[in-house]
Amino acid sequence: MIKVENLHKTFGKDVKALDGLSFEAKDGEITGILGPNGAGKTTCLRTLYGLLKADEGRATIDGIDASQEPIKARAQLGIFPDKFGLYERLTAFEQIDYFASIQGMSGKAKKAAINEIITDLGMEELAHRKSQGFSQGQRMKVTLAQALVHKPKNFVLDEPTRGLDVMSTRILRDYLNRFKAQGHCILFSSHVMQEVAALCDRVVIVSNGRLAAQGTPAELCELAGESQLEEAFVKLIGSDEGVAA
Amino acid sequence: MNNGFGQLKALIIKEFKEAFRDKRALMVAFSMSLLAPVMIMVMSKTMIKEIAETPAVYAEFKGAEFAPKLMKEFRDDNILPLSEAEGNIHRIWQERAITVTIPESYQQDMVDGHIINIMLSADYSDKPSLSPVRRIKDVVRSHARSIGYKRLMMRGIDVRLLRPLNIVEQDQSQPSSNAMMISIMLGLYLLMGAFMSGLSIAIDTSAGERERNVLEMLLCQPVSTLKIVLAKLSCSSSIAALSIVLMLTVTSLTMGFVDLTKIGATFSIDAGTFMALLGLLIPICIFAASLQLFFAFQAKSFKEAQSTVTMLIMLPAFIPLALTFIDDRPQWLDWVPVAGQSIIMEDLFKGLAINWPAFIVTSIVTLLMSAVLVAILAKKLKSEKVVMALS
Repeated sequence: MIKVENLHKTFGKDVKALDGLSFEAKDGEITGILGPNGAGKTTCLRTLYGLLKADEGRATIDGIDASQEPIKARAQLGIFPDKFGLYERLTAFEQIDYFASIQGMSGKAKKAAINEIITDLGMEELAHRKSQGFSQGQRMKVTLAQALVHKPKNFVLDEPTRGLDVMSTRILRDYLNRFKAQGHCILFSSHVMQEVAALCDRVVIVSNGRLAAQGTPAELCELAGESQLEEAFVKLIGSDEGVAA
Repeated sequence: MNNGFGQLKALIIKEFKEAFRDKRALMVAFSMSLLAPVMIMVMSKTMIKEIAETPAVYAEFKGAEFAPKLMKEFRDDNILPLSEAEGNIHRIWQERAITVTIPESYQQDMVDGHIINIMLSADYSDKPSLSPVRRIKDVVRSHARSIGYKRLMMRGIDVRLLRPLNIVEQDQSQPSSNAMMISIMLGLYLLMGAFMSGLSIAIDTSAGERERNVLEMLLCQPVSTLKIVLAKLSCSSSIAALSIVLMLTVTSLTMGFVDLTKIGATFSIDAGTFMALLGLLIPICIFAASLQLFFAFQAKSFKEAQSTVTMLIMLPAFIPLALTFIDDRPQWLDWVPVAGQSIIMEDLFKGLAINWPAFIVTSIVTLLMSAVLVAILAKKLKSEKVVMALS
């Protein structure tokens, strides 16, 4: 479970990125985090990863404080970052193996886990090719595989479907649903409303570093008195800047 | 503990895999090791030719007919009239334009005992002309001296009167110190090699990874930044050390083709010297790699990293050069990285015994400074400034 409590973060003297943000992402659920550009989503996620320290408040992963024990907290996480790159001179298999070893896996168990995820994501043909020249979809698969190979209890994805074709998006969705069914906690940031509406059990709307609203997509629509999540989102953040994003 | 070692092993293996698959970076790393010894060999051969042999020198002689004996002495020393040169050689010597003018009154002045001015005209700033000019001056001086001695002897004066004092020189330098030029060059190349060979790899693994958006992913993993830095350092410094081993091996082989005994010098890299040089340079490889990573990680882009880190090459080139201008070196210079190693290498090439206390102290100081850089860098990678620069 991922819990964010009263997070405050200011950059420089007056750039307030987070202003008392609180929310919870429960196990066995996909929680969507929505917000216009500059709302504080990436800052919030980076605080979760233990890369940034909050001025006030705390972020915990399965009860472990991300700023106090970042390495222990990261061990509970599978991360699909905002900007993902690959080691172009390594093969997909070597890349997944690298992250599995960093996560503390070794020997036969590691090999079995790598082969399993390669099969699950239908990456057999890619596995022993160097990642230089991979398409965006192929890159997504490798990043997903390296983030999930150690079967993390909690999984954080920052705009994972950006630039993906329909087939790759469907693979990702299927995979997330499977993880959810196994009781994992998934926190998912996106700008694509239909996707959030279709995939997420709960949605957290962030605006100006604060929680603007939270609930199931249906609850949010009801709260805003709209039938579409996109309309509800615009109404709830109180501007139309998110639509252009 | 096991997990910690497993992580470090995985990080190191990945760095080596990437480095050995980066053909361009490897080419940079090893090209110097292969080219430098060949250059040293060619330069040594040229130097021996200049010092030990008397190749033909061509000059334009004006008034040669007035001084046949002097002309014979020139010819005996292989200094010949320009008209005897052919083809390309004629063109080269014509450009050098070395002219010796013998006055018309030479013979009369010789009879009268007047001072005869032999005019030597050449471009003294032109390096290839220096040796021919020196040889021409030597011939004129020796001819003049022999005529002077004969004049005194004919007047019944012992020529030894002209030399009331005689200086007896005892050169205490070891035979191989005559090869100082070669040693200085090799020392400089070795230091440059230690600094340059790992450079591309250090930049690629730091600024390059940041630009390719893989650093953020790595920093989000449950691994300490110290291990990340250590893995990158071990790869970059190992490549530099490998390059040094290659450079020393190729130098040993190529120098076998140069006959240094012609200039009374010996030069060999035996097993002991090889190991001592390696022992001296491995800390430098580590120091160079840590400096390069330190600056490359802080650069805003790959290009900025390239410019900043390339400036570091000035260090091994500048310090040994500056040392040659310091006659009374303060002792602390023996302990400072690069300067310390440079001084010990100089002694080693002279054939002098190694100053072991200085060897140990300078190695420890170099490694300590590298450790400090690594610790600061590991701390910096945890800083928000670095994280914010990721996007």
